[in-house]
Amino acid sequence: MAENKALDVELTTSSAPSTARLLLKIAAAWVFPGLGHVLLGRIGRGLLFGGIVWSCFGLGLAHDGRLALHDPRQPVLSALQVVANLGMGPVDAVARFGIYGRPVYAFEGFPDWRSPDAVERIFRERARSGVSIYGTAYLWTAGLMNLLLLFDVWDIGLGRKV
Amino acid sequence: MRSHFLHMLIYSVLVSTFFGTLFRDSVRDRLRLGGLLWLAMVGGALVLAYAMYPFPG
Repeated sequence: MAENKALDVELTTSSAPSTARLLLKIAAAWVFPGLGHVLLGRIGRGLLFGGIVWSCFGLGLAHDGRLALHDPRQPVLSALQVVANLGMGPVDAVARFGIYGRPVYAFEGFPDWRSPDAVERIFRERARSGVSIYGTAYLWTAGLMNLLLLFDVWDIGLGRKV
Repeated sequence: MRSHFLHMLIYSVLVSTFFGTLFRDSVRDRLRLGGLLWLAMVGGALVLAYAMYPFPG
């Protein structure tokens, strides 16, 4: 009994730092897509995943992809779009800053095509572009792929996957 | 780049490579799954487009 307790304590103390390290690696994977796998020693896989995700994100921005804004008319759908964008990590905020002038994630009130709000105007202008639909698909895919990579880093870190 | 077909090819290459690498461990299996996914996406789109061709826009 006492031995079991000692073993429990040992397991708890030895697994706590490794869990913290794994969480840090997952955070790194979110902050910089591909980095989580590199930190786990899967360098080739990390570089490939990073290359794919960053390419997708770059193609999205280059093709007038719309960085989603929460729309009160479609609260659930637009929230899911924002989550997909957020999968890319802080670079999403940087991109919003570059495109909208500030890291904005929601329309101010109900969107109106006559609104003088700069964010709404930029959003509409990008939507009018002939390639915006492709750019948006690239952006969502990049974010969603990176979210999947976080689960992959988690599985590899726990030893569930090679 | 405004070519819809080229976008489809690029997108399907990226996505099939991603999932092939994510879900398989050996290079052979990755190529197999990736190729299958790529064929399903591109071939599926072409088949669907062909099937829809007679219908007016």
